Order: sequence, then structure tokens, then C-alpha cells
Amino acid sequence: MSEVAALQTQALREPQVTTYLGALGRALAAGRTNKAFPDRKPLEATLHALGREMHLGLYDEIYVDSRSGMPNLASFTRVLSDRTVGLESLSRLGTQAELDARREEAEVFARMGRKRRYFEALQTLELAPVDHHRVLLRRHDPGQSRASFRVELTKLLADGCYVRVVIELWQRASMWAHELVRLDAAGEVAEGTEALRGTVYRFASYDAETLFVRLHELEGVTVERVQRGMIGPVLWSIPGENTLHRVATPGGSVIARAWSEALPELAAAPAQLVVMFSSDIAAIDVRDEVSNDPLSPLLGSQLRDAEQARYRILRERHPFKVYKDRKFVATDASKPVIERVCAAAGTKNLVYRLV
Amino acid sequence: MPETASQLNLGALDRQVAYSGEGISVRSLEENISAERDTQNGKVDELKILRERNVAIQTALADEVGKLRKFSDYLDGSATQGGIWAGFKELVSYIPGFRNIAMSKRSIEELLKQQYQISSRRVKEAAEYVDTLGRSEQDLYKEIDRINGKILEMAKNESTAVDFVLELKALVDAIESEKQTAEAGSIAFRDLEAKQDKARALLAQHSANLQLYAAAEERYVSLKDNTRKLVETIRNLRQDISQYTTAASIKLDMASAQIQAIGTAADAAVVMLELKRSLDVMTESMNATTQFVSDTQVFFRRNLDTLIHELETFDQTTTQVLDANIAESRRIEDERIAAAIDKARKHKQHAGGGAATPA
Repeated sequence: MSEVAALQTQALREPQVTTYLGALGRALAAGRTNKAFPDRKPLEATLHALGREMHLGLYDEIYVDSRSGMPNLASFTRVLSDRTVGLESLSRLGTQAELDARREEAEVFARMGRKRRYFEALQTLELAPVDHHRVLLRRHDPGQSRASFRVELTKLLADGCYVRVVIELWQRASMWAHELVRLDAAGEVAEGTEALRGTVYRFASYDAETLFVRLHELEGVTVERVQRGMIGPVLWSIPGENTLHRVATPGGSVIARAWSEALPELAAAPAQLVVMFSSDIAAIDVRDEVSNDPLSPLLGSQLRDAEQARYRILRERHPFKVYKDRKFVATDASKPVIERVCAAAGTKNLVYRLV
Repeated sequence: MPETASQLNLGALDRQVAYSGEGISVRSLEENISAERDTQNGKVDELKILRERNVAIQTALADEVGKLRKFSDYLDGSATQGGIWAGFKELVSYIPGFRNIAMSKRSIEELLKQQYQISSRRVKEAAEYVDTLGRSEQDLYKEIDRINGKILEMAKNESTAVDFVLELKALVDAIESEKQTAEAGSIAFRDLEAKQDKARALLAQHSANLQLYAAAEERYVSLKDNTRKLVETIRNLRQDISQYTTAASIKLDMASAQIQAIGTAADAAVVMLELKRSLDVMTESMNATTQFVSDTQVFFRRNLDTLIHELETFDQTTTQVLDANIAESRRIEDERIAAAIDKARKHKQHAGGGAATPA
């Protein structure tokens, strides 16, 4: 198994890196994600930049979160730093022709030649950010001193998954109201306050319902929608020479347990991959409150009787409904494992085939 | 041409002495040395630029280490710089209904991640030095090869010049002895004198060449020594930077997992402990990088300034030798001219005072 190099970190080396990144990139495309999820293209670009074809052997390994199976903070940061530092280095490295001509002279010139190609290629890519916060103005109603905003946060979560949180809210300006978003003097460009950033950032790992309630309780704020689209976790296994490389600690979810039980069979198959795409919406325009997510039932269905009453009162204060869903991309040998779990949970989930 | 005594070996007077390479002159030697020095200066300039960037990185690193320490002190409870108002806000946050006012601002996890990304960039910037220095090292090895070629060429030419100069000196002396046996003013005497003058002219010319080749050999050897020192400095610097940045990178990779762990810890004490640990690891890695920056400053101070000074001294020495050579050449030339004028006057006196001697 690929070694656990540090806390919750697996080091993956060739040839497993190429197999892993290739499969994950194809799975992202097969997942058919929409704007509720983190942008696919920058994430695909990051996966490509981590690969040997791009860095030409400058790196020996990548780091993967041992729980979520996704590239971790160190891997995301590596390509982002390389692009920033590379831009400055390109002016000092010399031309490609010069470096190629001296390739046989010493190892340093061959290495600098590869580096130049890598840095140049990175400049053409838009890479996935570790965090990206954006606030957009939807409607401005100066007569009523209120405005509607859309807040987007893309974040690499602490559990290793990659999430996009979208919040649509109204804010009324008043002395007692807590200012979450500021407008510029022209009333056209919106900027989130540090308070909003901090709150959304901290609560990004919680479900949409919790975030809706948390924001809606603020004075002067009316939330219309909170939506989370999450990529991950990823369950992967890649047979090696004498060992099976696999995600080290996939956790205790029902899918992770079913996957771990099926591993002895999967070991005989070529590389296997399951990527999960979960969406979670708390909004005033959701018609029916349903969870189609085998790993995340509605909160109301999990509470003890003693808590149910309090929860009902809380929900009556807030006019939203919740909808949860999860879809999968899976290789052929893994697909039956997922389908069994979904059937057992009583959910009907899309399972796209990874070729 | 009148006959001369057969024991004189006059072959030297007509021989074309072949020195290898281009012909040497004060100007060409100066130009060659200057070209070699330009390469050295280029590398020294690169080190100067690295020194300036070193200072910039050191300042930025000191800033960032300071910020990390502040976070750490805050968690220790030893930072109370927030003052009364910060403490009040914290208290008020526990009072129901007043939560909005006391709503805390930036997420520590977000700040830590930003700090992590900045630290990662700094370490990569420092690591870029390694290849820059590696290339300079290789360039200088090539220079040493070239200079060795030049030294060999100068040594061979010096040896050729020595042989010829000795031969010419022996001829001049032999002609002098021969002149003693000839009648003063006779045709044979004049012929011997003409040949002696020619030999002396060749002697002057090739003596100058000998001096130039000897000086050039010495200067190239000195240049090679300086280049070797520069290579060694660069190699040591490259190896040390490589060690530091590798260690810092590994520590940062460890910190990444701890930062990500912070968000999932439910218990406040556990969160604070993990936060403290990741801060300490990041601070350690930044300290390691700061240490290398500080140590390379020592390198630069010890070696770069000395090198620059030695190279300037070398330049001065070269100029002095070349000036001395030029002065010597001029003196010889003046002597020759004075001797020629002297001879011309005496000839006129003779011609005016006595019967003309048939040619």
C-alpha cells in the first residue's frame, strides 16, 4: 500500500501516480458536474499539472489525503506555488534552445530544461484554488435599503473533500443589522465583510441546513438558498507489483465499509475508482424535503424523540426545505458495490461508468 | 653580400619563429584577460543579485515567522495585546442575543492556509537558487578548462621564446667577438655591425614576447585560482541551500496535514493543540529557511567581498605589469633611436672631416 507519510497523508509514486491522476481526471469529466460544484476545468488542470507528463520528472511523488482519497493541501499548493515562482524564474532560466543544447553537459542543464518547459506550460493553465471567495450583487433595491447577493466559496475542506458553497441572501441596511456585504459607492460592486467570510468559511464543512439557520438568524439577513456541491471522497485501489495500493483510511461510512469488504475481489481487477459527487440544498424554493443520499439522511430522521420537538420549532421559524443527493462515477468492478449500498438505503442514485 | 667568418650561425636572423595561437601584444593580452574577467564578473554579479534577493527574502521571512509566533502566543494565552475591547467582545459572545455584535472575524484555518501557501512560495523561491548556482558552477568549470588551455599555450610559447632569445643573445655576443677581429670601418666590420643590429632588433622583439608570455602565463594562473575559489564558493552555497530547502519542504508537507486536521477537531482543546502543533511546525520550517538565509549572508560577506577585492587587486597587478612592459618597450625603442642618431652624427662628422670611403 502507498505509505502513510504523515498525519492523514499518503505518498503516491509512479507508476501509481499516473494511473491515479488519469482515472480521477476522467471521473471528473464523467461526473457531469454543474455550477453547484467546484469548477471542473481548473481541478482537471491541477490534476494534469501534478502528473509526470507535465513536470517531466521534477517530482517523485504526490500527496493524497488518506481519508478522502483526493490530492491534499500540499499537492494543491505545489502547483500553485510553482506557477507563481515559475513566472519569475522564466526570465532567469535562459532560452529553451540554450538549455537543450547544453543538456548533455551536466545534469543541472537537463533539469533546468525540463523546469522551463514545466513552468511555461503552467502559465497557460488556470489551476484549482485552495480557497476562493466571491460575492456577486444580484439585485439592489435602494428604496427599501436592501440588496440581494450571491456568495460563493470554493474550499478544500479539512476532511480532504473539495466543496463549493453558494449562498443567496438579502441584506437590509440598518443600524442594528449586521453587515455581511458591502457595496461600493456606485452601488454596483459587492464585497463580503470579514465577518461573512469567516462565518461561511468556518461552516463550509457543515450541511446546508446548519448554514442556512446560522445565517438566517442574523439581524437584517434573509437567506433564500444555501447550496453545497462536494467532490469526494474518492475510493481508489491500484494493483502494484506485490501489493495493492489503496486509500488508507476511507472511514466508517456504509460505502467505505462495503468497499473495504470488497477489496479482496477488487485486488484481482485492474485499477478501481469510485468518485462521489454530493449536493445538499436548503432553500425556500425546494418543493419536497427529501434525501436521495445514502450517506446523509435528513437530520429530522436521525433525531431522538426528545429532540424532535425542538427541531420542529426551529424549522417552523425558517421557511426552507432540504434536498440531498449523491451521484457516483465508478469503474466496472466497483459499480455493483455502490449499487448494492444505494439499494439497501432505498435511494435511486446515478452511477456513471468510468471507462 | 661580403663574406663573414664561417663560425657564426646566422640562421636565426632569417628564421620565422612560430608561436601558437594568435600573436601576442600588450593590447591583445589585455583584451584576452579582460574577456576572461568579464565572465568572472558576470558570475560575481549573479551572486550579488542573489545576495540582494536573499536580503528581501530574509525580511519577508522574518515578518512571516513573526506572524506565526503571534498566532502561537495567542494560543499559549501569552498574547493579550487585544486589550480590554478584544476581551469584552469575547465575553459578550457568550451572552444570548448579543452574538451578532461579538461575531468573530477571520477563520484561523483560512489564515493558516494562506500563511502555508506564502511559506511554500518562499521555500520554492529559495530552492530556485540551487539550479541557478548549479548552472554558474558548470559555466565556471568550462572557464577553468579554457584558462588551462591558455596557460598551456603561453607556457609553450614562453619556452619557444626562451630558446630563441638565448640563441639570439649568443649570436649577438659571437658577432661582437667577431667584430674585434675585423678592421674598424671596414666593409666586413660594417656587415658585422648590420647583422648585429638585426640580431639585437630580433632580440628586443622576442625578449618582449618572452616577457609578455611569462606575464600572461602568471596572470592566467592567477585567474584560474580566482575562478576555482568562485566555483568552490558557489558549490558550497548550492549544497547548503539544497539541504535547507529540502528540510523546509518536508516540514511544510507535514504542516499541511495538520492544518487540514484543525477543522475536523470538535473539542476546542484538541483544535488548539493541533493548531499550536501546525504553527510550531511551520515556524520551524520558516526558521530553517531563515537560518539558511542568514548563513548564506555570512558566505556572501566572507567570500564575495574578498573575491571582488582580489579580482580588483589582480586587475591592478595586471595593469602594472603591462604598463611596465610598455615602458620597457619604449625605453628600448628610445635607446635604439638614440643609438641610430648617435651613429648618424658620428658618420656625418667622419664624412665631413675625412675622405669618403667607397661603399
